[in-house]
Amino acid sequence: MKKRILAIGVTVCMIAGMVLTGCGGSGGSGGSSGGDGKVVKLGFLSPITGANAAEGAAARNAFQMAIDQANESGDYDYKIEVIEIDDKSDPSTGVAGAQKIVSDPDVVAATGHWNSGVAEATIPVFKEAEIPMLIWGAIASDLTSKDNYPWITRSAPTDVQENVPLAKAVLDDMGYEKVFIISDTTSYGQGNSKAFKAELADRGLKEVGFEEVQEGTVDFRAILTKVKSSGADCVYWGGVVTEGSLLKQQMYEEGVNALFCGISGNYSEDFLKIPAEAAEGALVVKPGIVLDSTEDGKKFIEDYEAAGFSEPIGAYTPYAYTAAEILLQALKECGDDVTPEAMRDAIANGSFDGIMGTTTFDDIGQTELVAAYLNVVQDGKWTVYDDSEYADGTRTFGGK
Amino acid sequence: MSRFGNLLMSAILCGCTYTLVAIGYCLFFGVLDVVVFCCGDIAIFGAFSIIGAFTIIWSAGVFQAVPTVVAVLILLIVASILCAVLGLITYRISVKPFEKSSALMPLLSTIALGVVIKEVLGLIFQPVINSMATSVVRVDDPKTVVGGRNPQSMPQLIAAGGSTLTRNLIIIVVVALILLALFFFLNKTKLGLSMQAISQNKELALMTGVNVKSAIRWTFIIGGVLLAIGGFLLGNYQTIIRFDGGTMYGTKGFAAAVVGGLKSTWGAVIGGMLLGFVEVFTAGLVPGGTKFQNVIAFIVVIIFIVFKPEGIIGEKIAEKV
Repeated sequence: MKKRILAIGVTVCMIAGMVLTGCGGSGGSGGSSGGDGKVVKLGFLSPITGANAAEGAAARNAFQMAIDQANESGDYDYKIEVIEIDDKSDPSTGVAGAQKIVSDPDVVAATGHWNSGVAEATIPVFKEAEIPMLIWGAIASDLTSKDNYPWITRSAPTDVQENVPLAKAVLDDMGYEKVFIISDTTSYGQGNSKAFKAELADRGLKEVGFEEVQEGTVDFRAILTKVKSSGADCVYWGGVVTEGSLLKQQMYEEGVNALFCGISGNYSEDFLKIPAEAAEGALVVKPGIVLDSTEDGKKFIEDYEAAGFSEPIGAYTPYAYTAAEILLQALKECGDDVTPEAMRDAIANGSFDGIMGTTTFDDIGQTELVAAYLNVVQDGKWTVYDDSEYADGTRTFGGK
Repeated sequence: MSRFGNLLMSAILCGCTYTLVAIGYCLFFGVLDVVVFCCGDIAIFGAFSIIGAFTIIWSAGVFQAVPTVVAVLILLIVASILCAVLGLITYRISVKPFEKSSALMPLLSTIALGVVIKEVLGLIFQPVINSMATSVVRVDDPKTVVGGRNPQSMPQLIAAGGSTLTRNLIIIVVVALILLALFFFLNKTKLGLSMQAISQNKELALMTGVNVKSAIRWTFIIGGVLLAIGGFLLGNYQTIIRFDGGTMYGTKGFAAAVVGGLKSTWGAVIGGMLLGFVEVFTAGLVPGGTKFQNVIAFIVVIIFIVFKPEGIIGEKIAEKV
């Protein structure tokens, strides 16, 4: 008796399964012919709550805004939906979110992460599930690599890439030649000093001196005597603000007549804690663009403000928007055949216009677009270089 | 100044800051025969006390109303009291309970206390100060107090607005005066002499009527005051103070004290200067030498303790078998 009930049960289940599968199949074909009701999904991961919520939530807003605009435009035969994951800046939460994304059969691509540590944890999930992931905001340089290409690409410049526009400004535009490089011994510092040395070598120059200090160094006076005797006209600092601000202050105190320059790790209010006259003239490059300097940027600000989000635009919000622009253009490239494989190739090989410029990817999936602008300390405040009195020649940098 | 002059000045200043911490180690080791390892952290606490007290009296308008010298004295007194109390607390909770156990116990417990001081400082400095005052950390340009784990800018109170040379000379003179005062205190006052007596032979001192308990307490108070001044000078020299700066500062001070001979004040001076000179001249003269300055400084320390374990000014103690 029991056996018979079981047999009937199993049969019913099998029939039901067949019927349902059949329905699914017909639904799919209906989508490709008619267009109504077909859905393509994109995953989006950012820290919407937790310590980095301000950046993460603003990025989510910008990404969703771009997708909404695309859906309203009518350019796509399907509806684009976003699976939004809050990674809380926590690697294990990020991995759980990534698994949720890749288990959805409608997902064709994902973009994620403001935290490099979280990105590192989720990359294997996306690679194994063969879903292309575009990193919009995590900047540790090793996230994009030969191993991860082409499934993993990144539209944000790495910290080390910021040296390119800085070198262009300092060496080409301002004409400094005698550069003394000081960095800390962390991988960040070493990556920077290596990158800047390469920039010098590309121009046939060589640094006049190179010193590395431990993290937490507070006394640079001994090094500064070397800087003075080397005749350097420019000091490149490859570390972050904690030591950088002290170095700049001691350069002032010791009367070192040279330009102080560095990358975005120095762009912080902490830098302004040293006396204004000591901080004066520090030149620091910052990734991104001055949004209201371009038409697209202005429109982005207007749209964002019109949408009435509670989080203000952060440093990386335009990057999340750029990631959306890239994915949307890649979707268009794919035409009717939107699959993860097609998206992977469309992203890796494409060229994408966006609010920050034209993005293309190199042979490991790293963006070749390094949008960045210079900032200078003027009267104890960070000022965009182009708007400063240094740009118009009213004030001059050290070493000139 | 010439390049050599610059290096010499840096080396002396660096040596001065190590010397003050080294003397703290010497005082405590002298009366108790234990190494109180949180000296560096007490000094950093002193520097933070100055920043906090400055913020509060500036907000209250006291700083602007009185001459700077008086204001600085007020700040030093506040920081000295706080550090003296911290010194007593150190003695009470991490030295006294282990009086009868091995010397390793107070060593470990003071290392632990040092970590506690450092972390608590990093966590509660901003909320505490912000609940009492709202603005300014700098004499020339008001700034709000930032999170305790960020570097804090030290108000430039020595020769404010003047040249750095003046400031450096004042720091050196103050350290010299402290050394002189300490010398007279240890050799000419009853309390100082009883501290020396305890240092040489605790049992004998007890038998000859020296109030050992009170002398130990006073040692921690004086040590605390000394470290507060050390933190103040260090902050003015570095201009920025980090909550976790005490670890390296304390280790260097300890190394200086050992090289000098742990019980001798003058040994601490020589040890501190030696360390300062080795560090600064390695960084200043050897190309690419900066990253090795700590390595070389500590190798010198090891060489000294191998060949002169009793310290530069320590007496050789012959064990009677």
